[in-house]
Amino acid sequence: MTYIRITGLAGAIALLTGMAGAETLTIGVRGGPESMDPHYSALGTHAEAAKHIFDTLVWADEALQIAPGLATEWSPVDDDTWEFKLREGVKFHDGSDFTAEDVKFSISRPPIVTGPTTTAIYVRRVQEVEIIDPHTIHIHTDGPAPSLPYDFVRLFIVSHTAAADYSTPETAAEGFNSGVASIGTGPFKLTSWEPKADLVLDRFDDYWGGPAAWERVIRKEMPNDSSRLAALMAGQVNLVNDVSSADYLQLQNDPAVDIFVGDGIYIMNMLLDQRTDEMPGLRAKDGSALPENPLRDIRVRQALDKAIDRETMVEIVLEGLGKPADQGMPPGFFGYSENVPKPVYDPEGAKALLAEAGYPDGFEMDLYCSSDRLPGDAAICQGLGQMLSVIGLTVNVNATSRTVYFPAQARGDYSVSMNGWGTLTGEATYTLGGQMHTPDADKGLGGFNRISYSNPDLDALIQQGMVELDEDKRREILESAMELAADDKVLIPIVQLQSVWAARAGELDFTPRTDGDTLAYPIKPKQ
Amino acid sequence: MLAFIIQRALQAALVMVVMSMIVFLGVYAVGNPVDIVIPPDATIAMREEVIRRLGLDLPLWKQYGIFAWNLLQGDFGRSFIYNMPVLELIGGRLPATLELVLISILFATVTGVSLGIYAGVNPESRIAKLIMGLSILGFSVPSFWVGLILILTFAVHFGIFPAGGRGETVMVFGVEWSFLTANGLSHIVLPALNLALFKMAMMIRLARAGTREAMLSDTVKFARAAGISEATILRRHVLKLISIPIITVFGLELGSTLAFAVVTETIFSWPGVGKLIIDSITVLDRPVMVAYLVLTAFVFVMINFTVDLVFALIDPRIRSGRQKS
Repeated sequence: MTYIRITGLAGAIALLTGMAGAETLTIGVRGGPESMDPHYSALGTHAEAAKHIFDTLVWADEALQIAPGLATEWSPVDDDTWEFKLREGVKFHDGSDFTAEDVKFSISRPPIVTGPTTTAIYVRRVQEVEIIDPHTIHIHTDGPAPSLPYDFVRLFIVSHTAAADYSTPETAAEGFNSGVASIGTGPFKLTSWEPKADLVLDRFDDYWGGPAAWERVIRKEMPNDSSRLAALMAGQVNLVNDVSSADYLQLQNDPAVDIFVGDGIYIMNMLLDQRTDEMPGLRAKDGSALPENPLRDIRVRQALDKAIDRETMVEIVLEGLGKPADQGMPPGFFGYSENVPKPVYDPEGAKALLAEAGYPDGFEMDLYCSSDRLPGDAAICQGLGQMLSVIGLTVNVNATSRTVYFPAQARGDYSVSMNGWGTLTGEATYTLGGQMHTPDADKGLGGFNRISYSNPDLDALIQQGMVELDEDKRREILESAMELAADDKVLIPIVQLQSVWAARAGELDFTPRTDGDTLAYPIKPKQ
Repeated sequence: MLAFIIQRALQAALVMVVMSMIVFLGVYAVGNPVDIVIPPDATIAMREEVIRRLGLDLPLWKQYGIFAWNLLQGDFGRSFIYNMPVLELIGGRLPATLELVLISILFATVTGVSLGIYAGVNPESRIAKLIMGLSILGFSVPSFWVGLILILTFAVHFGIFPAGGRGETVMVFGVEWSFLTANGLSHIVLPALNLALFKMAMMIRLARAGTREAMLSDTVKFARAAGISEATILRRHVLKLISIPIITVFGLELGSTLAFAVVTETIFSWPGVGKLIIDSITVLDRPVMVAYLVLTAFVFVMINFTVDLVFALIDPRIRSGRQKS
């Protein structure tokens, strides 16, 4: 009797708590947006949420290849002008028509309203927007800008009427967070949002791509990995992202859950500082100073590369959730070179190279890594430390919070460090220009070159790649830049991470995206 | 008495000023928030624009001066990350933490004190030994683990309660409360229990020790001699005798639980201030951290202040002692 009462109560509560019906999709996500203003932040989780409500001119598909969005086609008219043809018959959530005015307005907005994670990067090449007719625009850039369509993948189009009064840093958050100004053309309308809590979205029936399969979508922010998974097991959510590798092992044998594994955009790189004047954290084994920075010797860098057993790293450290990496970008991205030799694990060869470079007994190094930015970063760091000690180095592993790690890395406190890099735009100038180009304030390149690396040949290739409008030539230039960068081994790629999603068994059709976004529109209930 | 109040108020103000300075300096020492939040391909000019907008280009003393001046006018500033007024951000989440903490503390006190008195009256009974054993568990098992076990047991296995999040809310006095709806209540049970376990263990031990001592006091002996029933003795005399330390601990625990319900809030995805502060720390959102810790210091100072006042009122020795010195 008691038992019956309890199960009855459980059933009632389960109904009340909204054991999501077929019309509602509830997703447990690790991180969410910082505002409802899509132009406020360039953070991945911010853009991910914005994509439900707003569209972009250029769309990036599951594999981060560009495809038509609100623009149906685009082409360069001359060296510094792009023409975009806009999609016709697109409606905003308030019923108004999408026109060139909205595009012009949306391009002008990011530099004014952006937060610290600046979205101004997406329009930095734009000098002027010229409206030719309501569905054609010309974008004049500051010199040839072949990557403009890639930049526009993250440029969200807002309504120029609804957002007109909410486009200063003081008013934007208020207008968009309350829903007054957050009128987009996307598949869902904003219903409510609470920072770090729930984002509630309702279907927009007049969406130009056809109505979504879900009447309501709720994205719940659940930063704790175990709790997120528990919510799935308890039937509170239908889908969760970022399943940890430990949980992934267990879930493989669980019939109640479907798991989806997708390649990610993040590559874990070991970074080797190239300064001549100082070398913090590098010393001889007896504690005395080294005569010069050993990391400037290509043989030492090659030795470090050969010391890394990437297969073991993937199989043991990441429980199979990754792939060995040979360059700073995943395969298939624009500029990825097939000609980069696959790294070979060869500890004996590494020792020989070290001896040849004048360090037969090795030396001591402090290895710093981020510990809470990406799944597995701390574990990879420890694995790396062990592998490097096999070739005779003394390695002190320090995996620290990103709060400490990134500022210290920017100050130049580290000689050897390891963190992930995501090629968010899907093409090589982003990765090479940011990390490998000589720091250059005027050109805006090398902003994340934390290792004082400077290679004039590579700089020249990157700059050529940034202005070449012919796609085939551009690909060729970037591929050779990738090969050159991989050759120099100042940035040693270790593994490409994979992401895992989990859903209640047999409920959803879901295709992982390379950028890790969990978008509700492409998800369909399983028939 | 007035001098005593003024003296304590001044001390309180000083604590808060020092607190805000330490947090300001501490965050400054960790590093520049811009290094964490700015996108990799931002140009140097964009970077400088961000630094200028956040006011991080000014010398530290000036940044602090501006913060302090605004604070005096009741303005805690805007969050670096959300671009929302900090008070609005914290205020929006405070009710969630408040209801969770109050329910768990009340539950812990009522159950803890009852069980503790029982164990104090019947120290040799089996049940008392069981209670004391459990209280040791409550002390020593880490609360994040208990939280996960609660979720696994009641949410995943039995499916009786939700695994996390806050339930439906109703608006009362302009604030969203969830404990007034059935759905909201079902969401609050597990996190409140999780939060209550440690305090309950402490209350049990406090009440037991107090009761054992009180049972031997002359008051109880005379009451027994006068033929008053055991139940009445417990209710009217023992409870009164042991209540002073319990009230003190209740006050202090209330403060610390309000401020640091972080672990429970994170595990149960409870949208309270604890979760907000942890997220703010990971991105060095200084305005939120400073405002939160200053408010926390304020809460602690106020609770201690009230406790001191109550003591001064109850116990004349404290009052006169202060006046002499």
